[in-house]
Amino acid sequence: MSDTEDQTQDMSEPVRNALVELVIRGMYRGEPSAAQAALVERGLALVKGPLLMPTLQAAALAGSLVRTPAGGDVEARVRRLLEAFLPINRTLRELCTAWQIRPDGSVNDHSDAMYDAGVRDRLDDVHDSTVPVLDRLTAVLPSIGEYAPRLQAALDRLDSGETAWLASPLLESYHTVWMHLHQELLMRLGMTRKEDEELEAALVAGQAALVPRQAG
Amino acid sequence: MYAYQESPVTAPEEHLGSNPPEKLGDFIAFGTGSATGPSGSVLGTRGVEMEALVQLGLPIRQGITVPVGSAERLTEERSAAEAISLVSDGLPLATHLFRLSASAPVAVAGLPPELLCLGLSLDNFEQHAETLGRPDELGAVWAGTIRAVAEHALAVPAAAISGVVLDVVDSIAQAQALLDLCSAEGRAPYPSGVAEQLALAARVMLTRWASPRAQRARRAQGMASDLALALHLEDQLIHSWEQMGRGIAVSRDSETGYFSPHGHFHSGLAQSTTAEGGHVLAVLPIGSDEVSAAVRALETASRTAVEVDFEYSPAGVRVIGFQADRRPTARTTVALSVELAEQGVIDRTAALAAISPDAVSELLHARFRLTGSERLLVRGLPASPGAAIGRVALTSERVVELAQTGAPVILVASETTPADLPGMLAAQAIVTSRGGSASHAAVVARGIGRPAVCGAGDLNINPATGEVRAGQWSVREGDTISVDGWTGAVYAGTIAIRQTEPTPELRTVLGWADDVRRLGVRANADTGQQTEVAISLGAEGIGLCRTEHQFLGDRLPLIQHVLLAGDSDTERTALVALAAAQREDFRTLLRAVGDRPVTVRLLDAPLHEFLPHHAEHANPADAELARSLREENPMMGVRGVRLAVLHEGLYPAQVQALFTAWLDVAAEGIRPQLEVMVPLVSMVEELSFVTALIRREAAAITERTGVTVPYRVGTMVETPRAALLAGRLVEEAEFLSFGTNDLSQLTFGLSRDDVERRMLAPYLEQGLLTASPFVSLDPDGVGELISLAVTRARAARPDVKLGLCGEHGADPSSIALCDRLGLDYVSCSPQRIPIARLAAAHATMGS
Repeated sequence: MSDTEDQTQDMSEPVRNALVELVIRGMYRGEPSAAQAALVERGLALVKGPLLMPTLQAAALAGSLVRTPAGGDVEARVRRLLEAFLPINRTLRELCTAWQIRPDGSVNDHSDAMYDAGVRDRLDDVHDSTVPVLDRLTAVLPSIGEYAPRLQAALDRLDSGETAWLASPLLESYHTVWMHLHQELLMRLGMTRKEDEELEAALVAGQAALVPRQAG
Repeated sequence: MYAYQESPVTAPEEHLGSNPPEKLGDFIAFGTGSATGPSGSVLGTRGVEMEALVQLGLPIRQGITVPVGSAERLTEERSAAEAISLVSDGLPLATHLFRLSASAPVAVAGLPPELLCLGLSLDNFEQHAETLGRPDELGAVWAGTIRAVAEHALAVPAAAISGVVLDVVDSIAQAQALLDLCSAEGRAPYPSGVAEQLALAARVMLTRWASPRAQRARRAQGMASDLALALHLEDQLIHSWEQMGRGIAVSRDSETGYFSPHGHFHSGLAQSTTAEGGHVLAVLPIGSDEVSAAVRALETASRTAVEVDFEYSPAGVRVIGFQADRRPTARTTVALSVELAEQGVIDRTAALAAISPDAVSELLHARFRLTGSERLLVRGLPASPGAAIGRVALTSERVVELAQTGAPVILVASETTPADLPGMLAAQAIVTSRGGSASHAAVVARGIGRPAVCGAGDLNINPATGEVRAGQWSVREGDTISVDGWTGAVYAGTIAIRQTEPTPELRTVLGWADDVRRLGVRANADTGQQTEVAISLGAEGIGLCRTEHQFLGDRLPLIQHVLLAGDSDTERTALVALAAAQREDFRTLLRAVGDRPVTVRLLDAPLHEFLPHHAEHANPADAELARSLREENPMMGVRGVRLAVLHEGLYPAQVQALFTAWLDVAAEGIRPQLEVMVPLVSMVEELSFVTALIRREAAAITERTGVTVPYRVGTMVETPRAALLAGRLVEEAEFLSFGTNDLSQLTFGLSRDDVERRMLAPYLEQGLLTASPFVSLDPDGVGELISLAVTRARAARPDVKLGLCGEHGADPSSIALCDRLGLDYVSCSPQRIPIARLAAAHATMGS
């Protein structure tokens, strides 16, 4: 019996889910649920003021709970889809940056409708390329199915004029949901952030800089 | 994204104009459209841009414009064939490729992307791939075009297209698979003939422009949903990959604002214009001179900083487009305005008008004061602006722990994950060793307003030992570091922060502002040092010296002894000590003031700020007395002139200190113009009472020394009653100074400290207020009171001097109001003097 099984076999399903969710989200703000309280009791989560944070042990445990079997077909398929995801990930981060900071380094105060509309328009390219990737991921990992509606919900808020819903880390913004998705993929594949960054850099370099630029 | 409306090149019909119009059926050749007067409404913004480039003699691509409203014509093969033959100009079609782009009558975001490689087919792919030397790159660009045509012109299902894109990674194979998909699932196969391809490409543009996505973009910009398109067909170069490419050059260095063409380029068919992965302009294979010349020409014509999009080949540079910098940095604006005015291109008033008070404020931003002796730990990418000083913590958990002790903390990590958000929130700043300015850490740091330096690759972080190494230096968890999110520098230890000095160009501009403005600008300064700063920033004098500020800190007991003195002897002794201490302060202040005016406000001490706390009293009698003096509402309590009436010796002691200090500096040849100001007056009788005390003390000094110290007496107008009675106050007062912070509080009847925090945000949100009345002077109520006071005061004493002192003195809209109300000067904090000088000039220019 492995260590993970040792530590998780007496956990109820809701507690396991709470563990995985807390690690994917990184933190939880608010009154802890019963399942989250159980995590605190087991030393897998810490209460810091109004925040609940996972411990390092919790991260390792959650990682092994969701890890797809190494060397299997599912892992290979998820890995291929991660390779499709990472170049889009780069573009999304660039868009979030453009949303926050204008090219000259000044803060984007969202008073320039044309600038914002340009960034928003490019976000459609990101979203349209991401949805097919998510569809395929969901076919092998059903839990990924929740991300497309969450991303769409953030887009809807953004399009209702709430500018913070693209990149704010304090909301379920597009970027926040995206980070959770990315984190879950890495946990599923047992990849470190460093390996992930290196893979992304290699993929982006291989694509060359072929992004079309608009004429106007 | 070309902003023509704002610069001279925006109106080609006025400035351009002798080329004979080349009427080419429905099409207009680049550079020949202006003679007939077409503007953006005919040519589209890109067509107008081409006119400007041709007029300046700059090299551009061969091309034609399909005028606004005629785009549908290009979807007909016959017209498309005609367009192709015009652009290829008789050259053999086999060697030529084309590109199609769109623009609207006005600058707008959300246009359909350009379509490249029109004319490419399986018949000539090999040939072009061989010329380029990078078949994969050609394949990728081609796949992009086929994909757009498949989706928007041939009705291939989007799911099938994304399936191919995900399944076929190799670009040439992907292009082939997309061709197959068009044949299998499209309305028609992807054609091999260039005219047929162009007709479909035109259809793509129109479909894409009518899509919900493009409609949404137009709505977001307040544009009509039926805004029509112009199309632009241009030739596309294919040379060997090493010899051709595309780049961007900008005219100004955003840090200095000086003309300094720089940029980057990518080889081959690259469409990206980001700096990442590009080469710097200086190493352009054909040299950068042509690009620099084009940048200069365009900047001169536009009268603003420009960004120039260009391509190069062995045949030379061609300008693809340019963009006036719609929002130049503050430095650029100031440097460029001064240059243009000095060259006589614009006049000084126009130069002043081009610079906003916000830009001045930005230029005077507080930054680290670098002496050269600091230890630079590491330099990374400036990822989120701002500066912070704090203690190093290497994990999110540690940040949260340390921050709970109240210490400022800086998170130093190799990278961040979602789990680091609590740590980032608790930190003052974030430093990462990996990732760039678009990393998750940077996006999050900006999202929560924390300064950040990312990608500081030389940092070696070891959370296990708690140590961070960088070259020869190392710091440990808990050590203090200073992070500069503007420059990307991280220093060991604490670096002092100070305001940036005005640049030479800013000094020039402020000099011009001084020539223009009517309103005087003085400073609120309490010490010699503050006065020196104020004068160096252009203050004409001191409009407010708050004498109570000289008694904060160790000198507090001097005042407390006066307030708590049980009998007149004790009070007299306490006053002598107070006067002696103040004389020294005044001497330093007056030396710094020189021969300028200086308004010294006599003591205005809310009791609660000066009385000791209960536990601090040495004897129970003092404690009891202090308790009896406690007030429910000290802001409206025994302060200002009221204190002076209750402690008759107080103001004469201050006057004695001030006048003897004046005698001291007069002996050195300095003659400050003294203005003695009485605070918180609401009754004429109060003012008469203390004025008599002041004049009596002045006479005593004259008698004692034989010298008459020149001075004026005046009063602050801080209560509505004082404003209403201004006409009578000036019987005693030779000047009035509006204290608009208190006047606003008392006019609105709200206590700023208690209310602003809770009330302001909801009021602004609900639209009850458009700005805080403490930031921007309320024109309707408080402004009306001032207006009335000004009229009554001037009627009774025409030469009365009228000023405003307080935070409003540096707020541009309040300054404009003061100018309209006819005040003589405003007085603000020393650091904001440059803003007030410019805003006062704007006020004069606007009136």
